[in-house]
Amino acid sequence: MHPSLLQDSVRGCPKEIPHNEKLLSLKYESLDYDNSENQLFLEEERRMSFLGFKCLEISRWVICGLIGFLTGLIACCIDIAVENLAGVKYYVVKQNIEKFTEVGGLSISLILWAVLNSAFVMVGAVIVAFFEPGAAGSGIPQIKCYLNGVKIPRVVRLKTLVVKVCGVICSVAGGLAVGKEGPMIHSGAVVAAGVSQGRSTSLKKDFKIFEYFRRDTEKRDFVSAGAAAGVSAAFGAPVGGVLFSLEEGASFWNQMLTWRIFFASMISTFTLNFFLSIYNNKPGDLSSPGLINFGRFESDVSVCLLLSSPKPCVISLSTVCLVLNPVFNILNYWLTLFRIRYVHRPCLQVMEAMLVAPLGPDQSEDYPLQLFCADGEYNSMATAFFNTPERSVRSLFHNPPGSYNPLTLSLFTLTYFFLACWTYGLTVSAGVFIPSLLIGAAWGRLFGILLAVWAVPGKYALMGAAAQLGGIVRMTLSLTVIMVEATGNVTYGLPIMLVLLTAKIVGDYFVEGLYDIHIKLQSVPFLHLEAPATSHWLTAREVMGAPVTCFNRIEKVGTIVDVLSNTSTNHNGFPVVMPVAICGLILRSQLIVLLKHKVFVELARSRLTQRKLQLKDFRDAYPRFPPIQSIHVSQDERECMMDLTEFMNPTPYTVPQETSLPRVFKLFRALGLRHLVVVDSENRVVGLVTRKDLARYHLGKHGLEEMQLAQT
Amino acid sequence: MSFGRCFLKLPYFTNMFIVQVGALLIALTYYTNAQTSVVAVNTTIPGSEQSASGLRQLAVAVVPQSSVFHPSLRSQFSLNLLSAFPEDLEVSNYCVELLAIFGQRYSTYVNCLVSAARPVKVCQNCYGTYGNLMEIYKNISDQMGPGNVSCRDSLLRSDRLMLVFLLYSNLEDIWTASECNRCVSLRHYSLTNDTLYFMETLNQSLSCFEKYQKGNHSELCTECKATYRGLNELYSRMEKNHTLCIDIEDSMNMTRILWSKDFNCSFPRAETVPVIAVSSFMLFLPIIFYLSSFLHSEQKKRKLIHPKRAKSNPSFINIQDKFS
Repeated sequence: MHPSLLQDSVRGCPKEIPHNEKLLSLKYESLDYDNSENQLFLEEERRMSFLGFKCLEISRWVICGLIGFLTGLIACCIDIAVENLAGVKYYVVKQNIEKFTEVGGLSISLILWAVLNSAFVMVGAVIVAFFEPGAAGSGIPQIKCYLNGVKIPRVVRLKTLVVKVCGVICSVAGGLAVGKEGPMIHSGAVVAAGVSQGRSTSLKKDFKIFEYFRRDTEKRDFVSAGAAAGVSAAFGAPVGGVLFSLEEGASFWNQMLTWRIFFASMISTFTLNFFLSIYNNKPGDLSSPGLINFGRFESDVSVCLLLSSPKPCVISLSTVCLVLNPVFNILNYWLTLFRIRYVHRPCLQVMEAMLVAPLGPDQSEDYPLQLFCADGEYNSMATAFFNTPERSVRSLFHNPPGSYNPLTLSLFTLTYFFLACWTYGLTVSAGVFIPSLLIGAAWGRLFGILLAVWAVPGKYALMGAAAQLGGIVRMTLSLTVIMVEATGNVTYGLPIMLVLLTAKIVGDYFVEGLYDIHIKLQSVPFLHLEAPATSHWLTAREVMGAPVTCFNRIEKVGTIVDVLSNTSTNHNGFPVVMPVAICGLILRSQLIVLLKHKVFVELARSRLTQRKLQLKDFRDAYPRFPPIQSIHVSQDERECMMDLTEFMNPTPYTVPQETSLPRVFKLFRALGLRHLVVVDSENRVVGLVTRKDLARYHLGKHGLEEMQLAQT
Repeated sequence: MSFGRCFLKLPYFTNMFIVQVGALLIALTYYTNAQTSVVAVNTTIPGSEQSASGLRQLAVAVVPQSSVFHPSLRSQFSLNLLSAFPEDLEVSNYCVELLAIFGQRYSTYVNCLVSAARPVKVCQNCYGTYGNLMEIYKNISDQMGPGNVSCRDSLLRSDRLMLVFLLYSNLEDIWTASECNRCVSLRHYSLTNDTLYFMETLNQSLSCFEKYQKGNHSELCTECKATYRGLNELYSRMEKNHTLCIDIEDSMNMTRILWSKDFNCSFPRAETVPVIAVSSFMLFLPIIFYLSSFLHSEQKKRKLIHPKRAKSNPSFINIQDKFS
């Protein structure tokens, strides 16, 4: 947004604009990663014995093991359910086709196929659109935001998990051009958030365990473990999972946590492997570590050929990246924008998904039938499409040279490309990993066939898949490791890395990664790795919000209730001053708990035996603190006073007014702050920096630009 | 002591074709067995010296490859460079005979395979010779000959090449790949009833083709349609029961090509029109959907919120100046 435009709108009345990417939504809040070191906390710490701390450490490990186990189990369930449902569908259609082939009613079979697909997708879309919109898409953008420190409403709830799992099963079985891998990451994260709390608020069941971990800080650690476990179950890539968490949540990290996360990942892939091998009646075989399996790649001389032929290989690969990847992201960007603006009603969303479903790969999947072939002949294309996308990827990698006809393959690549682009962003839960792998594998194979000098088109398919995936999602380190682990051959590390590097450089030149695009379009206040490059001249004074609503250390209850009830200023953190200098910071959630328990000075005097409020009371209310409206405060009580000394964070982070934006940014991101108080030379509060104040700056075409806040 | 040596020889085994760990382990255990049993033979049976060299020549004559036999235990005994080994290391007469028979049957089977390669008739033509080969190999590997001599160790496992085993396993692989087991019951040395029935039906179709081949193909199409369809149905039934072997698959393929390519009898393509119509209708629906939602659904608007900032924000106005 142009600054001058901003000035205009400030003067005018609140105005409405169409949704665009340069907005920040008010509905997203920050997570409280910063530990409030108030007196209650200190007291609890003093009471806790050495053994208590040891137990905490052990229970962390137990939780990580549980996370891995449950995530692996969920992956296993999804896999089995999809396989069986799709099997039933294929069987019904095949029967029908066989019956009608000779009579000549193929159009009827086609309609049957379309109806079946639509029905599956409808179920998936209905549960997502009407019950839990948060479960739409792959869930990776949401988890990225969560690890970044944004509280996405309802993203780690049990209901979301259930809807997600069912939705994935329906959409994959419904034949959409989607994969079941991306949603695994979200599922893992939800499992982690649930298990680590030792209770379920949705089911209203409290197991009275792991109460210590009912805090945003602890929960975030477990969620990153869950995301890692999800990746590891999806791709059979435990190290890749750990690196994924590292890459996405890199600002908060320590070694012990990494080690625990690795444990969760390992357990997850092993669990999946174990149960799948039992399901396949080969116990002890342990041959399916992930939902997708690239098959065995032998390291032979062709790897050297791939490397030693850098000129044609890399140049051509990058030209294809140049064309395909940005196109995918740009198309999807416009489509998503259109969807947000016009297709926002749940019933419309369901309809859209249902309309895409029959157009899905079924157009190509009918080819194997004798429709366009002589009797008894099936072309290899057909076998590629009559399969699940995972298997198609594998056959593109491994089928011997000469199995594919270049013309049909290119036709397929093109169709699938647009289909996948169209499908991502529908209101169904589905991932983009497998479709992009498939597109990439197809054009890589095509490229290998056309090159034909080194007769290893399968290897080119692998490189193409890596390039396409890397170009779309723009992950670097973690994706390389994931691909190498899924390939099961370290020798391919270097070519894959080079290809991913090229894809990212080329892609970044044009447009951001798909996940970042979606994060932006959701108007999430996402803090990137660093502040915009040309922002050193901006100081905290310009960035901060002011004036700040402050409380006195002993404040009247009425004032507090009024401030909290004011809907126009939905503040969350309040500096506590005495008399003007800052002496602490108190959060809305804490105040609400205090009001609920009526911790008033007068009451404490009259009732000497009143139980002292403990940290446990705050934890019990976490994470869904009741809204202020639900707390009744009588007229008499409004005249009471409240002593905040015990409960506020006595040492909030502060910065002087002259601090530059990058400095503030670094502090914010490295410490995971939610509020940063700006003070003057006499320690008086002059402003408050929050996440949205920082996230609104970004580097646009015309230099530093500002995003606007909007109600969504 | 021999145990120690055994492990030292491991690298030889890793060079073998069998790369799977399991097979390697099996080979290793066999190897140790072989060693101990050879040593046992060494101590218990003082063999007869008289015909050792003669037998050796015989073996060379019958199976030329066998000249590469190198008993791997040579180094354990301090031997002079003799042209023949002591009797206890030599291959017994009985085994040499077995080997010769194996060679004959082997070449018969391979000849049969080659002649039945195109059109594929490897199951129906060669199951007899394969059965013979299998029998002799079983004799070598399992049975004890006269004088309680087992040829298994001396013929199959005395060296790292294990030629006899290798040759046999190659052919076994071919047999497995062609799935002949589904058409042949080796126990009875005959084709299965299903296969015979299929052949009969196939012959009916083929003779029908032959009958009408001269004249107009459309006549052929109508006349032979019944038998052809019957054949197709039979084939798909067999496909479901997993009783197909390569012979049947291939002959069915050829018949189908004959039917649809050469005679052009495949059903008419008239139905492509409704199929295309249905597909294009389905393609058309989303376009209508998007157009209508663009025209009728009201656009989602966002209400802008203006956060409180420090009152005078001189630098906001200056952003542009500082940049331009």
